[in-house]
This record gives sequence, C-alpha cells and structure tokens, in this order.
Amino acid sequence: MFICQCENTRMSVGFIGAGQLAHALVRGFSAAGVIAIHRITASSPDTDLPTVHQLRKLGINFTTSNKETVNKSDVLFLAVKPHIIPFVLDEIGPDIEDRHLIVSCAAGVTISSIEKKLQQYQTSPKVMRCMTNTPVVVREGATVYATGTHADVEDGKLLEQLMASVGYCTEVEEDLIDAVTGLSGSGPAYAFTAVDALADGGVKMGLPRRLAVRLGAQALLGAARMLLDSDQHPGQLKDNVCSPGGATIHALHVMESGGFRSLLINAVEASCVRTRELQYLADQEKISATAIKKTTLDKVLQQPGVTADAVGVRSGGISIFNSSKPRTKKK
Amino acid sequence: MSVGFIGAGQLAHALVKGFTAAGVIAAHRITASAPDTDLPTVSSLRKMGVSLTTSNKETVNKSDVLFLAVKPHIIPFVLDEIGPDIEDRHLIVSCAAGVTISSIEKKLLQHRPAPRVMRCMTNTPVVVREGATVYATGTHAEVEDGRLLEQLMASVGFCTEVEEDLIDAVTGLSGSGPAYAFTALDALADGGVKMGLPRRLAVRLGAQALLGAAKMLLESEQHPGQLKDNVCSPGGATIHALHFLESGGFRSLLINAVEASCIRTRELQSLADQERISPAAIKKTTLDKVLQQPGVLFNSGIKKKN
Repeated sequence: MFICQCENTRMSVGFIGAGQLAHALVRGFSAAGVIAIHRITASSPDTDLPTVHQLRKLGINFTTSNKETVNKSDVLFLAVKPHIIPFVLDEIGPDIEDRHLIVSCAAGVTISSIEKKLQQYQTSPKVMRCMTNTPVVVREGATVYATGTHADVEDGKLLEQLMASVGYCTEVEEDLIDAVTGLSGSGPAYAFTAVDALADGGVKMGLPRRLAVRLGAQALLGAARMLLDSDQHPGQLKDNVCSPGGATIHALHVMESGGFRSLLINAVEASCVRTRELQYLADQEKISATAIKKTTLDKVLQQPGVTADAVGVRSGGISIFNSSKPRTKKK
Repeated sequence: MSVGFIGAGQLAHALVKGFTAAGVIAAHRITASAPDTDLPTVSSLRKMGVSLTTSNKETVNKSDVLFLAVKPHIIPFVLDEIGPDIEDRHLIVSCAAGVTISSIEKKLLQHRPAPRVMRCMTNTPVVVREGATVYATGTHAEVEDGRLLEQLMASVGFCTEVEEDLIDAVTGLSGSGPAYAFTALDALADGGVKMGLPRRLAVRLGAQALLGAAKMLLESEQHPGQLKDNVCSPGGATIHALHFLESGGFRSLLINAVEASCIRTRELQSLADQERISPAAIKKTTLDKVLQQPGVLFNSGIKKKN
C-alpha cells in the first residue's frame, strides 16, 4: 500500500491558480488518497471558472487570496499560466517562509527566473520545477521534475511521492523539460486527435460512433500498456501484430505512405520549439500588458498588497523580472 | 470448465496470459495444440502450465470451450480434422479474421446437427488485460454461451456483443489498432530524442501520455475534441503542435488505415468463401505438418486452381 510522507507529517498543499491543472492534480491526489482534501487550498481571482466550481465540490479550501493559500500551505504549486508567474511571485514573495517548497508547473519558466524573483524576499527559496500532464486526473499522468539550487534531497523525494501517486514521475535535468513538454506535456492532445480520427474511420466502415470511440481508445490504451510492461522495442511489438499479407500490414502501408511518423516527430518538435520561444520571450521581458488578459490583470491588481508599481505595470509594457525598481519611462 | 486452443501462436499465448493473470481459469484446465512445436509461444505456454499437445483431437476431447486461434486459411483444415470429435457440450469460438460464422457452421454441420459457434475479434493487449473484444453469436449458440464468452473476454479487457456484419470494421479499428499505436509511439519517441531526450525516457513518456489520454477518454463523457480543446492553451505549445498534425493530414491517415485494414479483411474473407486460396498460398511447412495429422485428407476443402 502506498504511504506518503505527507500523510504522516500532516503536510498541507496549496495551489496558486484553480484552472485545469490544479483541478486535475487535486482530483488525482484525492483519488490516490495521498493527501486529505481538507489539507488542500487553492486560490484564484476568477471565481467563474468551471474548475473552481468543481474544486469546491471536491471539498478543498477555496479562496480568492493567494496570500491565504501561501499561509496555509507547506508545498505550494504554481498552477497559473506562464505569463502570470511573475505577478504571482511578486505578490506572494513577502509571505514565503523557510518551510515552503515552491513547485512551478508553468511551461517554459526557468527555475533561475523564479529563484531570482524570490531572492528579493528570502535568502534560500526552495524551488522545484515540474512538467506534468492532464491524465494525472485519472492517475495516469507523466511527470518530470528538476530541482532548484536550495531544494533538498527530501524535497525531491516528497514531490516525487506526490506525483508518483498520480502516474509516472522521474527527476531530470532542467534542460530536458522543454522536450518533455513537447512529448508528454502535449501528448494527450495528439492522442485525443488520433482517437477522434480512428473513430471516424470506424464510423466510415459501419460502426456506431460510441462503439468506435470506445474501441479506438481501448486499442490505444492496451497497446500503450503492452509497451510499458514489455522490454521489447515498439517496432518488435508492431511486427508481432502484422501477419503476412494480413489486414494490419495493409493499413500500416497507407500510414507510412502518408508520412505518419514524420507528422508526430514534427508535432513534438513544434511544441518543444514553441515552449522555448515562450521562455525566451519571457526572459527578454517582451510580453506586453495587452498580451495578458485584461480581466485577469484587473483581478490580480485588486488583491490586497498588490500595487501596480509592485508588479511593474507601466504604460508601454511590463517589465516582468525587474519590478523592484521602477524605471522612468523611455521616450 | 476447460478451455482449449487450436493453435499456439501469438493469439493463444496472449489470451492464456490474460486469462491466467485474471484468475478466470486455472492454467491446468487449459490445453493448446499446434503441429509446430518450435514456436516461441509454445515454450512460453508450457512455462505457464498449459497442457501442450500436437494433437488437435486431444485438445477437443479435453475442452468445453474451444478457441480456434489459427490463421484464417488454416480454419477449413482444422474444422475437417476435428469435426467428427465435436460433441454437444462444445462451444466453438473462432478468432479468425474474416472467417464467417456461416462458413464454420456449414463445415461442422457435416458432423453435427446443431454446432454451437461464436465468432470473436479481439486484439493482443488481452495479454495485459486491456484487450478490445467483440463477438457475434451463431445460429445454435445459446444466451448462456454468449454470457460465458463475455465473462471470459471481459476478464482481459473490454468486451461487447455485436452483429456479425460489424466485425470487419472492428478488425480495422481495434484489431489492427495496436499496430497503429506502436508505430505512433516509435515516432513520438523519435521526436523526443530529436529534441534531446534519452531514448528510454522518450519511449516511456510517449507511452504513458497515450495511455493516460486514452484512460481519460474512456472515463469521461466528453467528446475527444472537447478533451483536446481543454489541453490547448491560447498561443501555447500544444496548439502549435496540433497545427503540424493537421497540416499533414494526420487524421486522414488514420481513417485510411482503418479503412484499408477493414477492406483487406473483407477481401481475404471473399477469397476464402470462393475457395480460391491455393495450397501454394499456405506456408508449405505448416501445410505439411497439418497433413501429417491423423484424419486430415489432402483433398478436404482444397480445390486446386486450374
């Protein structure tokens, strides 16, 4: 039976952000029984999100105050969009204490950028970065994590225990995370598209839609499970199911003729490249205020303790990572 | 109840592994027969505790449920060989792609008035108990026979009854489906390796991502398109990737694949119905071994071309 350290030490977990990712992780963690629901807090300025409603139904503590989440938590997941991260760090920075482990789930946001922000408030912020995916909601996620400068071995073990309760989890060097984003971060979208198309194929050949979706998804699931449980190469497993002159090898030929494999390589590459691009833009401080959904910004600015200066909002653009000293406006 | 397999290849092996892992039948109540004892699957079956024999008649005599797990073109030979030994208690389940219930009943009616026949289409992930199986019920099979087969096959994955005319389409989709997935996983891993991941990690992450997504879909009421939308944040990495898939006609390739597999299945069935498979089309060594079995005559069921 899986026993998590967190159960024994009565640890609390908080989520800054209450969107798809927070919802998926909370559902997975609670299904796994790895942390009690009442020990989870989530915050978001936007209470209209459908995920907020679902999180409330699950029984977690929901608040519009990020500070409250910080104060109530030991492990703090940053589950907001990458361009919101700097605002959040400025807002909660003063409230971070030694006990806090900050885990950023934001694609393309580097550990060093987070540490740099938090070091304005604390000497040794414990930061980790992870890339996970939505199937954590059914406890079949794929997660990798990298460890920051001041995080301990125990912090890694703790995060790994949490994430392993909802799927596969392993530590990697940070420089691999963008590639992981392209592969297993975006991977579920490739799979959903594939099942939609397979079902179309089944329907074209006479199957009712529901049955076609069911069979397509089950075939993918079973094949993936076979590969995970086997030492054999995927090509060998493919060979094993292609009988001479049979139906399957005929099907494979049409796939290869259309460059099927290449499309998937392109997809992984495109997602990885875009992730690096977004990271680069953030590092260059080139995200303008208009790039951020205005309503979200307004709501963030309504939070007590958050001033426009503190988050570096000036006309003409937002300085994302250098907000402590407002510069005079350049002409 | 005892279960027998005519044929000891990939399919028999996968089903036996699944059934025994599920605990739905004990290995010692399973018999399998094949003329070719060199198959790697044969030694694997032996290790699982299955009774192996080269005599199909022995398998028939020891079984109540009899799976025909040989290649489609071998089916007529097998039916001629075991026909005389079939008794009232036997439930014959054919797993052969493209072989119709009526063709099997026609053969067995030479020996018995009411042979109980069912036809199923399954797939290899039964080996890890995540198979996809459909079955159709023959003229003389009873409701209990359907329930029994469904219990067996549901222990190793998804199982549902269908009308026989849908089985070829199922073959194209979930029968061949694992091969599409293995190909996709190989390519996804290549993508990961291109972007810097070590191979083992790339294979692992790719397979885990497919598995998780499929499970989400199976457990959700939502449309796959809605689930796809949910993971595509505005201007983000995933929607950029999806554009590449769509530009290359990704969806169309998968529709083509399902169609091609289904059409080939119907083609093979048509060739078999017209008794146009020549002996040369059958692997000679297998044919020789089959012909060595007592009771099999060369001219049973084969019409020479020309």
